[in-house]
Amino acid sequence: MEIAFRQPKPVVVEVAGLHVRLGDAAVLRGVDLQIRQGGIVALIGPNGSGKTTLLRCLLGLQKYERGSIRLLGESPDSGVLRRVGYVPQRLQPDRSFILTVREFLALRRPSTRDWFWRSTRHVDSLLADAVADLDVARLLDRPLAGLSGGQLQRVLICASLLNDPELLLLDEPTAGVDTPGEKDFYELIAAVHGRRNLTVVLVSHDLSMVYRHASRVYALNGVVCCEGAPEEVMNAESLKQAYGIHVTPYHHHHGHAH
Amino acid sequence: MPIEPFLQRALSISVLLGPLCGLLGVFVTARRMSFFSDTIAHAALAGVGLGLWLGVPEPTIPMIVFSLAVALLILWLKEHTELLNDTIMALLLSGSVAFGMVVLSHLKGYRGELDRMLFGDIFSVGWRDVGVAFAVTLSVGGLLFWKLNDLALLTAHEDLAHVSGVGVTRLNRLFILVLTVTVALSIRLLGIVLVTSLVVIPPAAARNLARSLRQQVLLSLVFGFLGAAGGVYASFHFDLPGGPCITLVLVGLFLLSLPAARRGGLREAVPAGPPTKP
Repeated sequence: MEIAFRQPKPVVVEVAGLHVRLGDAAVLRGVDLQIRQGGIVALIGPNGSGKTTLLRCLLGLQKYERGSIRLLGESPDSGVLRRVGYVPQRLQPDRSFILTVREFLALRRPSTRDWFWRSTRHVDSLLADAVADLDVARLLDRPLAGLSGGQLQRVLICASLLNDPELLLLDEPTAGVDTPGEKDFYELIAAVHGRRNLTVVLVSHDLSMVYRHASRVYALNGVVCCEGAPEEVMNAESLKQAYGIHVTPYHHHHGHAH
Repeated sequence: MPIEPFLQRALSISVLLGPLCGLLGVFVTARRMSFFSDTIAHAALAGVGLGLWLGVPEPTIPMIVFSLAVALLILWLKEHTELLNDTIMALLLSGSVAFGMVVLSHLKGYRGELDRMLFGDIFSVGWRDVGVAFAVTLSVGGLLFWKLNDLALLTAHEDLAHVSGVGVTRLNRLFILVLTVTVALSIRLLGIVLVTSLVVIPPAAARNLARSLRQQVLLSLVFGFLGAAGGVYASFHFDLPGGPCITLVLVGLFLLSLPAARRGGLREAVPAGPPTKP
């Protein structure tokens, strides 16, 4: 099957001519992009550039004026979201809501949907594989509302992987997490991506982490200003185009190869 | 000693609606809807006034209809104005009460009806009321347990619930509908002024003791049962008004649960474990 091997990888996210208006502001003004299977793709751009709006459109959470969206070849409202994992920015769960990590994970996995009537031990045995993968076993008894930012993200990623998604969408994942936590987060995403056959699309404002971990970058500012490998997109000129100011991406140096 | 039939009926209806309000209350409190629940309870007064004025024989139906209308109005105002939630609800609460009292004041002998509505009259319920409460408890309770996962996810994160396939708008409407029906029925027990106590205090006391959602749900059912049944019994035994007795028993249970809140749960810092690595 040499011909098949040479074919480009299938497109998992296809956006064409997307226009979104929020109130009076035209936030997205004709976004076109095609994301192919397999990579870690970052959407970057300044505040208000529409990167979160674009992600919300992909998830069917935001209505759009014009344009089209295909996820894994289907429309977002066709039930295709079952094959997509979503990691929200944060939960901000109310402290009065005492959902534990175990309960949160169990209610999202088909095999443990009846957790309320089952023993804790039984639920734990059914969750064991998913939990071990992301090392959240020691958090199972903790309420979601009592987790630190980094722990919560780990749990949210674990939850998003429960249905073995083909595509993982993450919203500004490091907002509200301290710098070491940010580094852990991106390393965790890279590890998850390496272990599983999935495409990761993340919205981010952290240029140095994007530079280090993304395989492809889209710089957004109402439209896609530029796209390509991080070293192509993240030069001073194209960032200036996206951000409208002079930004120097932080190129870190260290001893090992990526 | 045989129990008087009126006490049998009062106890039956209270052990049905007490746990149901407790169960519903877990989500009402976690979703910050306590004041919402209070507002639709007060809107029932206007519904009853209108019903009597129009000559509807059964007050429960106009009560539910008017409360639902106010619930929808709250949602509409939330979406179409810049007003804060509590402003909208305070406006509709006082507006409905004023409207209800003006309508009732035109009716003969409205004082008795007003008293029954405001403070409840549990010893006047008939077996038919008990039957209705039984049917509602069975269907609403069943629905809540059936939709428990979706409701929990909706409470944790609405967008995540949507992406996970939960029909968010439909579930929100369904929740408001069952809350309105349950509150309207429970007004017979506690009256408009106190009915929110049966929805809010059991889950609050349960929250003080619980370490998981399952524990909170189970404890809230128990506290709803104890508060309603204990209140009715105390009211009969000491010849005191029913509604206030239920509320006071609930407050007592809450006070008993308080020391546990200071010890356990979220308020105690959990020692940090070793850092986790991918």
